[in-house]
Amino acid sequence: MSKQSVNDLKPFASVLIIIITLLLIVFVKMEIRRSGYMLWKQARVEKQLQDEFYQKSVLLAKVLGPNRIHNIAQAELDMQKAHFGQIIQMTPQQVALKQ
Amino acid sequence: MQTRILIVFLFILGLWGLLLARGAYLQILPNEKLQKLKDKQFHTKVRIPSRRGAIVDRNQNELAISITAYSLFADPKIIKDPKKTARKLSRLLKVPYKRIYKKIKPSKRRFVWLKRRLDRETKEKIRSWEERGLGFIEEARRVYPNGGLLSSVLGFVSSDGRGLGGIERTYNSLLSGETQEVIVRKDARGRPLLVGLNSFTERKDGEDLTLTIDRDLQFQLEKELKRTTQEHEAETAVGVVLDAKTSEVLAMANYPSFDSNRPFKYSFEQRRNKAITDTFEPGSTMKTILMAAALKEKVITPGKKYFCEDGDFRIGRRKINEADSRHHFGWLTATEVLAHSSNIGTSKIALELGAENYRSSLVEFGFGQRTGVDFPGEALGIVNSLPWRDHLLANVSFGHGVATTPLQMAAAYAAIASGGVWKSPRFTKEKNENYREKRILSQREASQIVLMLNAVTGTAGTVVNAKIPGFPVAGKTGTAQKVKKDGRGYVRGQYISSFAGFVPSHDPKYVIYVAVDNPKKLYYGSQVAAPVFSKIASYAIRREGLTPILISEENLLKPAANKVKQDRAVLRLKSVKELKRTVSLVPNLQGLTLREVFRQSKKMKFQIKFSGSGRVAKTLPPKGFPLPKDKEIEVFLER
Repeated sequence: MSKQSVNDLKPFASVLIIIITLLLIVFVKMEIRRSGYMLWKQARVEKQLQDEFYQKSVLLAKVLGPNRIHNIAQAELDMQKAHFGQIIQMTPQQVALKQ
Repeated sequence: MQTRILIVFLFILGLWGLLLARGAYLQILPNEKLQKLKDKQFHTKVRIPSRRGAIVDRNQNELAISITAYSLFADPKIIKDPKKTARKLSRLLKVPYKRIYKKIKPSKRRFVWLKRRLDRETKEKIRSWEERGLGFIEEARRVYPNGGLLSSVLGFVSSDGRGLGGIERTYNSLLSGETQEVIVRKDARGRPLLVGLNSFTERKDGEDLTLTIDRDLQFQLEKELKRTTQEHEAETAVGVVLDAKTSEVLAMANYPSFDSNRPFKYSFEQRRNKAITDTFEPGSTMKTILMAAALKEKVITPGKKYFCEDGDFRIGRRKINEADSRHHFGWLTATEVLAHSSNIGTSKIALELGAENYRSSLVEFGFGQRTGVDFPGEALGIVNSLPWRDHLLANVSFGHGVATTPLQMAAAYAAIASGGVWKSPRFTKEKNENYREKRILSQREASQIVLMLNAVTGTAGTVVNAKIPGFPVAGKTGTAQKVKKDGRGYVRGQYISSFAGFVPSHDPKYVIYVAVDNPKKLYYGSQVAAPVFSKIASYAIRREGLTPILISEENLLKPAANKVKQDRAVLRLKSVKELKRTVSLVPNLQGLTLREVFRQSKKMKFQIKFSGSGRVAKTLPPKGFPLPKDKEIEVFLER
């Protein structure tokens, strides 16, 4: 390529460089915005999971509450409190409960 | 012509230049006034409290947790069809239509709360309607998963998440974290941009708080208080369980109480933690403190005898009665005075001790002042200032004319249980700035009081109901007449039955105080409060997995007994010859008089500490055991 034709292309090259630079800036800005949205989305997911964790902690605490366990033991498992003078039914092996 | 065109051009250029310069001034250069104007025009601030920290018990069981809730608000100006929206909301939220419509009907208001703290499902349902003018703000909702359990200690929070009572209030700044201000954008017409309110923001959440409370023990205490209150048709009941070594609060309950999830549905009376905020005359449980004071001032020994006037004792014109009018005691030792709860015996001891000494001991035991517990609204109690007339002194000796809180009484017994060191009770492991710790009795005096308290629950004592098979119990009952509301005189036939004690007495783990207010069926502390103590203590001991012990004096004096055990171990390791050379053994002092014992001690160069009178019945360490390092032998004399 002659020197003349290189000189002729120079203005186009300058314009091209400017356009590419501008596009690059736009791309970077878009990327920042996109990353921002990603971060925001992830933060929301994290928060949602955290909320769920606390909700489940409440549920677990309710399930394991001593009042509930006491009621289940008495109502469903027929367990009563031991008291003085209570007669313990022995099994044929002469042990009430395996220790 | 050209000049004219040039002038017009320059003029227009100048105008444009001025406009551009003004534009640049407004847009580029910082201007506080304009910034404020912009913020006012485009933004609005909404306060959102951060997530409140959880409260857990000593085993990390949740007692209070904050979960995210969604508070619904509306901008009445942009709701298209307020009637239709109100109807839908009324159906979903179960709130009267009129109440909602009143809030969202067209008005100048731009922000109105419709319902606070909705759950996620309800929020999603409302979101799905895509109704303009409705929005949500995230807030924390306090949940107490165990309902009413420990509510009088935990307290409660306000609708905006501020601690209003109990632990929630004391530790509010720690639990609440930092309140956040979210800037919400609004459009040019001033409408809030509802999308994006739940945007990503860093929150400074509150810290979690671990209490010294044991949830299961708390449940047992509450259950027993409820049962006793109902069984004896009492008005209220209060219970406190402290760790004997550290005075940490393991359980504290009031009955009736309230549910922290719905605090405002209950009266102020029910929301109070009476164990800390209420005072009453303690009755005979105070006799233990008198005995401790008298032992400390060397006024009594456990074996010193007092004549109890066959139940008829007068101070001036006033008569001192025994708690039970059928009792007519003659000569009783100090231990027996405590065991039989003789008012006359304690009055005589108090008169011998003197008002000044007794009052200063009461103050040392923490009465008449705040214990420093980390709980709001603690009562001081009443210990009258000196001078005291003899009659008042006698009254105070058996727990009348003085007012204490249940926690003060429990802390005083904890001081005896821990070997004479009084410590501020507390709800957290960390010691706050009000925390105090001081030695008020020597180890020996504390041990003597423990032995005397053991006699109360022994076969000769008044409180067989407090017994726990396999474990020695030290404690004292109280049956105090109720003071009239105006503070003058007593209500006839109304009593406060109480029991204070610790278990196992040879190595105390739990200090328990129970008081039942105005029981109707029975009223003696031994009949009403002692069984509650026994049940709570049995449960606590069983759960702790403590092994039952053979109840003997040797076991009750654990420090000395342990010493003997250690010395026994030494004995096993050494040959008899070596022992004879290196270890002096305790001689047989059985049956000797005090004079003979002193003679022996001079000869063998050992010190003696004696209690009682008469001849030697027992020594510690027993005969044949090596002498302790300090060469001191405890000698118990009996007639």
